[in-house]
Amino acid sequence: MPAAALLDVLIVDDQASTRHLIRSCLTQLGISRIRECEDGEAARELLRTARVHVIFSDINMPKLDGLGLLSAVRASPAIASTAFIMLTSRADTALVQEAVKLGVNNYIVKPFSLEVLKKKLEAVVGKLT
Amino acid sequence: MTAAAARAARETRSAPQKIFLVQGEFRVSNAPDLVISTTLGSCVACCLYDPFARVGGLNHFLLPHGESFEGPEAVRYGAHAMELLINGLLHAGAGKSRLVAKLFGGARLSPHLPDVGGANAAFAERFLLHEGIVFLGGSTRGAEARRIEFWPESGRVRQRTIAGEDRELLRAERVVRPAPAEAGTIEFFGD
Repeated sequence: MPAAALLDVLIVDDQASTRHLIRSCLTQLGISRIRECEDGEAARELLRTARVHVIFSDINMPKLDGLGLLSAVRASPAIASTAFIMLTSRADTALVQEAVKLGVNNYIVKPFSLEVLKKKLEAVVGKLT
Repeated sequence: MTAAAARAARETRSAPQKIFLVQGEFRVSNAPDLVISTTLGSCVACCLYDPFARVGGLNHFLLPHGESFEGPEAVRYGAHAMELLINGLLHAGAGKSRLVAKLFGGARLSPHLPDVGGANAAFAERFLLHEGIVFLGGSTRGAEARRIEFWPESGRVRQRTIAGEDRELLRAERVVRPAPAEAGTIEFFGD
């Protein structure tokens, strides 16, 4: 798996503050190739032409939510194997179960710490350093 | 309807339902007969309202304070508290681009203690700015505790100041620690 500096990551969240927080965490982990989308639809559009190694996506978003984006990714042969980490709230248990059925690689419960994000990311892509 | 009939209708209308929030809670509603209230010292409450959908919500939060009120843990916790409120509003039919906000609370109840309230208010203001949510005003900081009443269907807010040692204040702001960030109610992946 690519080391941190070679990882391409996409953050999908309708809340700019959350995108900023995740970007900040990823930057601290040595990841700099980061893109952002504010909803699933924008991400799906971006992924028509762009390729990333990991997608961090919120579940609750307008237009196309995280589950819809996950379904679209898994249904598209060119990007079906992209690692997908869902960002959830504690109340989203049923949605996480649905995400597991759809093939999510891992999930992070908000609010999360840098250590948790690193642990979950490394569980999916391997050691970052 | 005659004046007498209108008066009778007012008199027979059920009393407004009242909900009291404590720290860490939020509530969203479009019920016209609902009043959401809370009592604030250094905590902050954000009233968000969509005037088109006529739905509103109120939260009540206090950033965790360790070495720095503006540290990453505090920001993560505050952003999450706001996200829960916004998501609740979106589920109730609000549009994020239509939301307007009022902020209350963030008092510095003692000049001898760190200004936790000011940090809470500053966080909330920055959050609204980052999210592009129109900030209409409200009442933050100062040295007095406040009691807020919010009518979510109309967006109306009423505030009055209260004594800092009020029992209701102590109850509303009792320390509710945010759950550890590592915690989850479910575990699907053996990592």
